[in-house]
Amino acid sequence: MKVVVLAKYVPEPTATWAFEADHTLARESVEGRLSELDEYAVEQAVRLKEAGAADEVVVLTVGPAKAVDALRKALAMGADRAVHVSDEAIAGSDALGTSRVLAAAADKEGFDLVLTGMASTDAEMSVMPSMVAARLGLPQATFAGALSVEGGTATISRDLDTATTEVTVTLPAVISLTDQTDEARYPAFKAIMMAKKKPVETRSLADLGIAAGDVGLEAAGTSVLSIAPAPQRQAGTIITDEGDAATQLADFLAARGFLR
Amino acid sequence: MSEVLVLVETSGSTVRIPSLELLTLARRLGEPSAVLFGSPEDSVVAALAEHGATTLYAVPAPEMEEFLSLPKAEAVTDLARRLSPTAVFITSSPEGKDIAARVAVALDSGIITDAVDVTSEDGDVVATQSIVAGRFVATTRVVRSPAVLTFRPNSVEPSPAPSSATLETVDLSVSEVARGARVVATTPKESTGRPDLTDAAVVVAGGRGVGSAEGFAKVESLADALGAAVGASRTATDVGWAPHESQIGQTGKTIAPALYVAAGISGAIQHRAGMQSSKTIVAVNKDPKAPIFGIADFGVVGDLHTVLPALTEEIVRRRT
Amino acid sequence: MNTLRLVVGLLMTVVMLGLAGRRLLYLYRVGGAGQPVEPGRLGAVGTAIRAELVEVVAQRKLLRWTAPGLAHAAVFWGFCVLLLTVLEAFGSLFDPTFSLPVIGQFPVLGFVEDLFALLCILAVVAFVVIRVREAPRDQGRRSRFFGSHLGPAWFVLFMIFNVVWTLLLTRGAQINAQEVNTTDNLPFLRGAFLSQAIASLLAPLGQDVNEVIETVALLVGLGVLLGFTVFVTYSKHLHILLSLPNVALARRPSALGALLPVSSGGREVDFEDPGEEDLLGVGNVEEFTWKGLLDFGTCTECGRCQSQCPAWNTGKPLSPKLLIMGLRDHALAKAPYLLAAEQERDGLSDDARAVASVPLVGDTGYAGDPLAAYAPLGPGGVIDPDVLWSCTTCGACVEQCPVDIEHVDHIVDMRRYQVLMEGAFPDEAGAMLNNLEHAADPWGRGASQRLAWAEPLDFEVRVLGADGGDRIPDDVEWLFWVGCAGALDDQAQRTTRAVATLLHEAGVEFMVLGEAESCTGDPARRMGNEFLFQMLARQNVQTLDDAGATKIVVTCAHCFNTIANEYPQVGGSYEVVHHSMLLGRLLAEKRLVPVSRVDRDVTYHDPCYLGRHNRIFAPPRELLGAVPGLRLAEMPRAKERAFCCGAGGARMFMDETLGTRINENRAAEAIATGAQTIAAACPFCITMLSDGVSTLRPDDAPVEVTDIAEVLLRAVRPDLDDVSPPPQAARP
Repeated sequence: MKVVVLAKYVPEPTATWAFEADHTLARESVEGRLSELDEYAVEQAVRLKEAGAADEVVVLTVGPAKAVDALRKALAMGADRAVHVSDEAIAGSDALGTSRVLAAAADKEGFDLVLTGMASTDAEMSVMPSMVAARLGLPQATFAGALSVEGGTATISRDLDTATTEVTVTLPAVISLTDQTDEARYPAFKAIMMAKKKPVETRSLADLGIAAGDVGLEAAGTSVLSIAPAPQRQAGTIITDEGDAATQLADFLAARGFLR
Repeated sequence: MSEVLVLVETSGSTVRIPSLELLTLARRLGEPSAVLFGSPEDSVVAALAEHGATTLYAVPAPEMEEFLSLPKAEAVTDLARRLSPTAVFITSSPEGKDIAARVAVALDSGIITDAVDVTSEDGDVVATQSIVAGRFVATTRVVRSPAVLTFRPNSVEPSPAPSSATLETVDLSVSEVARGARVVATTPKESTGRPDLTDAAVVVAGGRGVGSAEGFAKVESLADALGAAVGASRTATDVGWAPHESQIGQTGKTIAPALYVAAGISGAIQHRAGMQSSKTIVAVNKDPKAPIFGIADFGVVGDLHTVLPALTEEIVRRRT
Repeated sequence: MNTLRLVVGLLMTVVMLGLAGRRLLYLYRVGGAGQPVEPGRLGAVGTAIRAELVEVVAQRKLLRWTAPGLAHAAVFWGFCVLLLTVLEAFGSLFDPTFSLPVIGQFPVLGFVEDLFALLCILAVVAFVVIRVREAPRDQGRRSRFFGSHLGPAWFVLFMIFNVVWTLLLTRGAQINAQEVNTTDNLPFLRGAFLSQAIASLLAPLGQDVNEVIETVALLVGLGVLLGFTVFVTYSKHLHILLSLPNVALARRPSALGALLPVSSGGREVDFEDPGEEDLLGVGNVEEFTWKGLLDFGTCTECGRCQSQCPAWNTGKPLSPKLLIMGLRDHALAKAPYLLAAEQERDGLSDDARAVASVPLVGDTGYAGDPLAAYAPLGPGGVIDPDVLWSCTTCGACVEQCPVDIEHVDHIVDMRRYQVLMEGAFPDEAGAMLNNLEHAADPWGRGASQRLAWAEPLDFEVRVLGADGGDRIPDDVEWLFWVGCAGALDDQAQRTTRAVATLLHEAGVEFMVLGEAESCTGDPARRMGNEFLFQMLARQNVQTLDDAGATKIVVTCAHCFNTIANEYPQVGGSYEVVHHSMLLGRLLAEKRLVPVSRVDRDVTYHDPCYLGRHNRIFAPPRELLGAVPGLRLAEMPRAKERAFCCGAGGARMFMDETLGTRINENRAAEAIATGAQTIAAACPFCITMLSDGVSTLRPDDAPVEVTDIAEVLLRAVRPDLDDVSPPPQAARP
């Protein structure tokens, strides 16, 4: 079985972010990394390989030149190969454009199972697994909290508000994994060194048979008009409990109409 | 007038509040039509009409629940193809996003998730989103329609606008692909009897400072006194003081209740991302430097183990 | 008879020395299986000689423990002196009237010989008393001898006793066996008071009998001595021989402070471009250097390390002694394999090959019995991972070891292999490593938070680059290295503010790096992640050099140790002081003047990385001493013997699930002094002790844990009791 992991290179969540004039993220000013949530997908893929359920794990990303860092991390975690789709025309793509590129790249690579994180830590949309599945004409199972694969069928569990469900998915399929799956491993230095020797193939849009006009900022289905820092919440009254905090708090709640 | 397709969810004989919010928002763009799965009870039809739905597309498919979100996405796609609406509105939830994603690809539509506001500008749909863990606000125009939008619950106060709704039943055949993912077992969770976390008006949440599963009972008691849902920080769910579905934050639920009470939650950025749109925030924490105090309308620097029970008692006393 | 005793004596000598020599040669070859030593280990002859004089001749570390120290010194010096007696005994094999040249007949030599023979016997008695009182059978793991080989230890004492009494008996009989009108067979007419006393006891037996006694006692004595020598080469008493080279080749001034860089094949590993065959850390016993193997062979199982170890004292499986013993026993068990040529290895016994494949660190089946955590013969591992990860690197073991074994270095080398090669370490530490990698601090807060501490101050803190310049301006004297805890931890922020306020108060121009600061890499390095340490260290050195930093003041003991002692390894050399030292100077120069009494009982906790690792014991105490009204009470375990808080060695970021908690143990000791304030000088100690105090005193009894700078601030600026104003004031 061959597993393709869709991974995203994202800005460090703790860094101070800035945006360019065209409302895309100013990548140069911020350190990047493999999205933490995609690390869970890499982890599950590598576990499938270690368990003998998968023969090959290929990690796939679409992104700028530095996105190779994210691929190297995934390779250090145990992925076998990496594919980096990089093309200037892709810059500024929205979810429609990105899913088009990812689906084409995955299709060209060939796979039995596509795994990815439940969301990216920058865009936080959670739509990519379904969009890629839709473009590939495959079923999907999203927000899996656990995954196992046996004989052409994946079984996942989903932790929902009112119930826990178990879902079987006929492969090939796209599955997204939550942070409830096993903690991603911290690669050993040896693995990092070995990852440097693993192959990373670079693909252009032409390689994937996608016209430049079908992706990028111009082809996007949405257009960002403005991005502004969220208005700061006004800090309110802060008191130190001297025995009467509960009364004061109840007064506050009553004044705001919550005790009616 | 243009049509806005609104995917509504019901809970027995009632329409879920986030769906009424969607109808309220949809009226800004045009005439809302509701799509729902199953056969609606009269009270549901009435509630939808009350909130402005003019047409009600009912998709009775008894096997629907067996196949995750794909059949629903196919049904909405079919309807959208037929009706060419201005926009498709869906509630932000795992299932809602799955459906929105599929519909957007099928219709080659612009998609915006987790919108909190929407307007129409020069005939285009313009939505407001809170992005980057709530650190920025983005306004985005949808340039390829129909616009596919998912909205966070509590984005707007549902308001009635009575109309009369016609009911149309839509046939659905589940495709082969959709049959690929099948629910084989469901283990229902014990109901707490408390409101649903995502659309509760009041939420009381506990974090690391609660200290133990026993300590969490104090959070629950206060929630019950306020008629609130119970939430938790990731720390509290990770150690098992509260179930995973009550996690609020970047990898949990994003909520915007009228009142949010944070007990023993320091307010790390990941947590704030999930609750900072709350209308009123109250924080109780021992550490005066906890970041949560920076966004709290009312903060108590003190021990939640004494403050919470005292507050619970005070509320019960005032209410009787 | 003289011929007989000459033949028997020489035969015995040849056979026994042959046996001992063969064993020593074998051990030498086993040692040779180790890696070459790292650069700089060899060649410091002067230092080595001085070390021999201080550590061996003067018995410096042993004498820190008065009773056992004196007893050991008596035996050590006794045997040095008795070597002369042994020479005399050998001489008398050939010539009954033999005496040493020149000094041979000085009465004072006879006196000294007999005196030390007596002292040896008294020492043996003392050792017996100590061993009975501290018997593991009664004391359990509280005994420093727990897990040591007790039988051989008693045997050694018995043999020492035998050596001494047979020599004395020989000498006594020699006096009586004198030929009429000749000098005594014993070369002394006066001085040898014990021998003479024995002689007078034996005199009634007559000359002939005494001659027989002399011969028999001489041969038995030599036999005992030679047998003892052979025994030594097969036992923990190898230290008699090995401590000499081990002390000579030890790290000086001690194996504390800086950790050594990762070396492979005697060269430092370049982490930016490591060689294909480079060994990263130690995964097999032969990957220790030969000096490491010498350490293992030198261990005498005295248990001083064990008695001081914070892990051992709180019920964890780590004992530095048991660790070294386990590695030694494993090395010896693996020796046949190591010494066999490649093609011969298949022909070895199953047992020998099985031992060879035992991983150094692996599941030993440890489940609470500390002895089960060490399995030199495997099969799962030589030491349990719980042993390896229990170490706080506090250095108490290294501090105590009389033969200068470098326990911490060996533990970190094994951790290095686990982390760098195997990716195996406690899960919870992974989050810390990830955070260091991605946010440059252990908590993952990120650079943007690094100046939050300064917000409540009523004066401007100068930040590098804030005025557009990228170098530290000339008018700035000190770069204030805030540290991750100092910048991000609530309690440590108070210390940072206190130090900043005091510097400001004294008119010292200082600057901070703000967002440009990263973790020094201490927790990564001590966990074994040398790669990450190198990354952080090089980045920080670059930042410091680019800024033109020369003088740095640090509040965190770990930052202090790393920048002062380890950054020179990556090319960064600065004058680094701990804030206790700088504030002390400012007090001495009267630039800081305590104006208010701080009427409190205070105890001071020595942070390991300030105290033991860097010998900074006095400055914090002097600083507290300068505060009027303050009464300083010492804990029983203080200075060199201070007990760790539990945070070192990256333990701060791991769960403490085994045994009892180290921080509570230390907090209880501090509370027992009756202090109202526990002062420390490291943010990690303060966090750990605060947690300990709040667990032990859940009712918020008025015992506070704080930094010495905050205590001083109360005396200098009583109006600013807490530099961070209460929240109401901050947000009107």
